Amino acid sequence: MTDRPTLDILQLTVTLRGGRKLLRDVSLKVQPGEVRALVGESGAGKSMIGKAVLGILPPNIKPTEGEILLDTHHLNAMTPVTRRRTVSKIASLIPQDPLTALNPVRKIGPQIVDPLIHIHGWSRDKARERARELLDRVQIRNTDRVLQSYPHELSGGMRQRVLIASAFAPSPRLIVADEPTTALDVTVQKQILRLIRELQQETGTAVLFVTHDMGVVAKISQRVSVLFAGRVMEDAATEDVFRNPQHPYTEALIAATPSYSDLNRSFSPVPPALIADLHAKIAAEEAAS
Amino acid sequence: MFARTLLFRLSTALVTLFGVAVVVFVLVRVAPGNPIAMMLPPGATEEDIARLTALYGFDKSLPEQFVIWLGGVLQGDFGTSITLRQPVDQLVLSRLPATLELSVMALFIALALGGAVAVIGARRRGTGTELGLDLGSAAVLSIPDFLWGLLFVLLFGVLWPVLSISGRIDPRIEFEFATRFYVVEGILRGRFDVVGSTLAHMLMPAMALALPLAAMIAQVLKQNLKEVLRLDYTNLSRVHGFSETAVILRDALQNAALPTLTLVGVQFTFLIGGTVIVERLFAYEGLGNMAIDAVINRDLPLIQGIVLVFAVLFIAINLAVDLSYALLNPRLRNG
Amino acid sequence: MADTTLTAPRSRNRGLNLRFWLPLFWVVLLILAAVFAPWVAPRDPLAQDLFLERLPPFFMKGTEPGYWLGTDSLGRDVLSRMIYGARIALIVSFTAATLTCIFGSVLGLVAGYFGGWWDTVISRLVDIWMSFPPVLFAVLLVAVMGTGLWSVIAAIVLIDWTRFARVIRAETLVQARMDYVDSARIGGARRISTLVSEILPNVLPSIIALLTLEMGIAVIVEAILSFVNLSISSDDPTWGSMIAEGRGAIYFAWWVLLFPLIALFLTVLSFSQLGEGMKQRFDPVLQ
Repeated sequence: MTDRPTLDILQLTVTLRGGRKLLRDVSLKVQPGEVRALVGESGAGKSMIGKAVLGILPPNIKPTEGEILLDTHHLNAMTPVTRRRTVSKIASLIPQDPLTALNPVRKIGPQIVDPLIHIHGWSRDKARERARELLDRVQIRNTDRVLQSYPHELSGGMRQRVLIASAFAPSPRLIVADEPTTALDVTVQKQILRLIRELQQETGTAVLFVTHDMGVVAKISQRVSVLFAGRVMEDAATEDVFRNPQHPYTEALIAATPSYSDLNRSFSPVPPALIADLHAKIAAEEAAS
Repeated sequence: MFARTLLFRLSTALVTLFGVAVVVFVLVRVAPGNPIAMMLPPGATEEDIARLTALYGFDKSLPEQFVIWLGGVLQGDFGTSITLRQPVDQLVLSRLPATLELSVMALFIALALGGAVAVIGARRRGTGTELGLDLGSAAVLSIPDFLWGLLFVLLFGVLWPVLSISGRIDPRIEFEFATRFYVVEGILRGRFDVVGSTLAHMLMPAMALALPLAAMIAQVLKQNLKEVLRLDYTNLSRVHGFSETAVILRDALQNAALPTLTLVGVQFTFLIGGTVIVERLFAYEGLGNMAIDAVINRDLPLIQGIVLVFAVLFIAINLAVDLSYALLNPRLRNG
Repeated sequence: MADTTLTAPRSRNRGLNLRFWLPLFWVVLLILAAVFAPWVAPRDPLAQDLFLERLPPFFMKGTEPGYWLGTDSLGRDVLSRMIYGARIALIVSFTAATLTCIFGSVLGLVAGYFGGWWDTVISRLVDIWMSFPPVLFAVLLVAVMGTGLWSVIAAIVLIDWTRFARVIRAETLVQARMDYVDSARIGGARRISTLVSEILPNVLPSIIALLTLEMGIAVIVEAILSFVNLSISSDDPTWGSMIAEGRGAIYFAWWVLLFPLIALFLTVLSFSQLGEGMKQRFDPVLQ
């Protein structure tokens, strides 16, 4: 098997209207069946990468340089219509906040079923069958009742289960998980994380997992990209990163993570001096180029 | 819970209505000039005036007159018009349908136009098109219906005469109306020449009434749409391969329309208020046109009746908006 | 990510300035025309000349020199009548808007700040007022008070005070809940002085914006009243009476309607844009 990556991002630059670069020369690969974590503090641009791949950047932000290859398709070279069709067949999204990720005026059923019909052209019965199957799989009992519910009738954890089911339902080859546990409380976080990992392993789906939490990185990913100010600081196997971080920023991020096993250890944020130092270095590089 | 809110709303509505009745009653009675003297030919004797004054009840004290009038109103008797010598309720009912048809047509135009501009603006958000639509709707919003009406009279009545600028229907059309709802009746009885002629006469006044409201809907709905379009469920639909236009129409529109609805309700009463002068402008035979004649002729019973009907209409619309808001939102429906 | 809109306001601002200065230019022009009307106007606005009736404006055939915008059915000069009309429009506009503003804002402040019975009574009055069609109400009021300048001004104040009362009441409610008002009250400040020193300055931007808007509305109400022949008097030249006359003679002399209509459009548009501009300029929250 030629080891063809499911997602291959080559030197991607994403620019805000007005010229500010939110991502600069970002390259990363996600191999089939692999979970790649994207980690960084807020504002590092980690969500931008997932959004750029899925084509859901805000209207004033555009990819300006580089390539995105999704399963060998050159996304940036496509017309908007084919890009949309292609992405919908290959990739899906687990969003951050389950409270705003379901349409409040539509029932759960159509919100899972309609996309399946639209993406694969399935019959309504087949799509409904698939939706039930996935809801069962994410341990939702009483699937019929849930399908008939409005979002506000379900708890936050339930909604996130529904969203996970919906993301896996079209059998995508890549799932972008955009901080899927951040908005949940700690006990639910663990269940949801375990659920994503189980489904990922069963289906062999590649996952781009966006998070700010090194603890989550350790639990779920095989490889990790560390982002700072729109750049990749470090790209390595997760194990190696924890054992032997190459970059001082990565080291600081690991130190800043409160660990479940070691709650007594005092919380130490990334030192401001280090951040200022990094910014100065980046500015110097830009001036040189 | 819902029933109690309804009851509370109904009782405040009644208090407001009573207030309207008192204000209008006092107002028309402090007007100088004897309306009775105006309706008699010159050379009428003092006795004639006294007899007619007694007939219309103007010889009694103000509170007495009010009680008599209100008692009559509660039994459906609004008195008799002084100038037209017909029962006020019949006169009002003969003109109300024209005003209702005009207002509803204007509302539909405003919703369609404002909705379309809002959807286009949201679809093209962040571009020059959006900025242009924003500037345009701000300008349209600040021009009142009266001026739009005059502009249309000039443009489509005179300089490029494609529409009639006065009346409600082509007088050459022969048709025995059973009701005063010309459009509705025309449709039901399959007389599309009647419908066409009535709509052609209504188009300009309805546009004049609709434009400011359309601009307001365009602004508010677009703002709401843009807020909804940032939410993750619209992102999910985009990932599912739906086009931006489909996302706006399938996902965003209904959610954005809910907060717009209350506004449309209140503004609809302003729109109906605008019919008074716009009907005058287009010599449209509606309630507002009749009201101005009644004021000029000091026809006290008729003025009172018309004002009261408008007030009932406004209050009913506001009530209906509050209730439909509760019904359309699934979160409030069961809660 | 949070500062994605940072670049937008700069370009917006340039547009806004033009949107502020153009309307201001028009309003200043109107004021000058109104003040210097006897010197600016080419003719006597009341002088009739039946030999010169319905002259078309300068760009058409069959004009007389000196009658730039033509004449009406009685041979009166349209341009001169418009210039004198600006006088009445502005007098009504400034006086009526200021009085409406004072009356409505005071009621709104009182209702919002003192609450209780004050609020109940004032809010109920607003509800009752909002149940009248405003134009019909204005026509009725002028009919009751008799035509004339002060009747028109009084009618505008009496129908439009609710606009101020509603908005200012709502804003006062918000302001009165804020902390600094509480601390001022605990500090022993008397209630009226708190109202004047702490709340009024914060609702002032809205009051000024509404005041400017109201000036445009007052011009329209005057025009509507003139249109149904219930304004100042039938002799004085007003834009509304010119429009009424133009509507009657529309098939013979459409220009009699067109030019005052343009003046009304520009005036109303200017006042509303100025109001928007004022709001953005003086609102501490928006700056």
